Amino acid sequence: MTIDTDRTERFNRLAEAYSTDLYRYAMWICGNDALAKDLVQETFLRAWRALDNLNDVSAAKSWLITILRREYARTFERKVPKFTDVDKVVVPDDDELEPDERAERELLRKGIMKLDKKYREPLLLQVVFGHSCAEISEQLGTSKSAVMTQLFRAREKLKLLLQKDGVTGNVHELF
Amino acid sequence: MSMNFSEFKKLLGADPWNRDSETLRARNSAPEFEQAAADAEAFENKLQSALLVQPSPDLLEGIKTISQEPARQRVWMPLALAASVLIAFGAVGIVWKQSMQPPQWESIEAYLADHYAHDGAAFIERATDAVSEQEINRIMASLNASAGQKLSGRVTFIKYCPTPDGRGAHMVVSTQQGPVTIIFMPETNVIDGEMVEFDQMHAYLVNLEHGSAAIIGQRSQAVKSLESMVRTAIKTGEIGA
Repeated sequence: MTIDTDRTERFNRLAEAYSTDLYRYAMWICGNDALAKDLVQETFLRAWRALDNLNDVSAAKSWLITILRREYARTFERKVPKFTDVDKVVVPDDDELEPDERAERELLRKGIMKLDKKYREPLLLQVVFGHSCAEISEQLGTSKSAVMTQLFRAREKLKLLLQKDGVTGNVHELF
Repeated sequence: MSMNFSEFKKLLGADPWNRDSETLRARNSAPEFEQAAADAEAFENKLQSALLVQPSPDLLEGIKTISQEPARQRVWMPLALAASVLIAFGAVGIVWKQSMQPPQWESIEAYLADHYAHDGAAFIERATDAVSEQEINRIMASLNASAGQKLSGRVTFIKYCPTPDGRGAHMVVSTQQGPVTIIFMPETNVIDGEMVEFDQMHAYLVNLEHGSAAIIGQRSQAVKSLESMVRTAIKTGEIGA
């Protein structure tokens, strides 16, 4: 009974600590709210079943990301619709953004969705999860120098987008 | 050897929050380095702000219901083995009994309670991977039905099962509320929209064009919310493949 309670508490702590970031990552990977939620649900379902394999709590974040990425590749990647509904789930602007700042952010969001997966994934791992380049390299199974190049190029593409097209530009030509 | 401006900008682009001593030294070495670092940080703030999306609160609630399902039986392995032997004997007994006379149930509740008590929890435990559409189509087509993609994409377990009026399909479906069982009964009619309860479970009954389906879950699971998906996804009276 105690073992079950401990297990449930461990699981709930993981859910509370990581479900939002995993959802953010999933959302920016697939661009669809329902799929992102399903993906996170599936990730935690598998995590619950394999929780006894997680011996090192400090490795939990990477472990969950690995499950999510595998689940996405295995089941969800082929189902991703062409449209995106990121706009529906963005955090409301509590601060008073100027119209051009708001438009700039909107452009940035579209640009992120248009980034090639090889640039978007390391960028999300770094910005959403706070991973270091070495951690991203381990997660993606590529060299640290390749990760650094991808991160640099991802940012350059987004900066170029903001510089070139300002708030009214067309993002398609850059990707 | 100190970093030149081009190297510094590349490093900022790859790792804008880098604070190692070499980067800090480079940052403080000249005004253009300081400006580049400030620009990079400003861009990072925009990027972080753009990436802020928020899940609805029901996501976390849904995830927490997952832990209500039975845990892996590692610590109870000896008991599980003993139970497996009993289940195996029980299964042989049931098959033998079924061969002697068809099962009869007084009501749909009795059928669901009996059927779920035998297999329900065990099948949920076994339902770990998505089932191929081919397998789902094969079973459903043989029952003169089909499962639309909305349903088939979520099925993690499917097998034939007995129903009050012949063979049907027992499915486990992955949902935001955790795994839910759907029994497709091709020859059985039910009271449409009726909710029945048994043991610690409840089931929502849906009449289809031909036959019916029972959506079974724990009482904490809103099984009725799957009604529309079941109605639109399960097509009946189709010619089997």
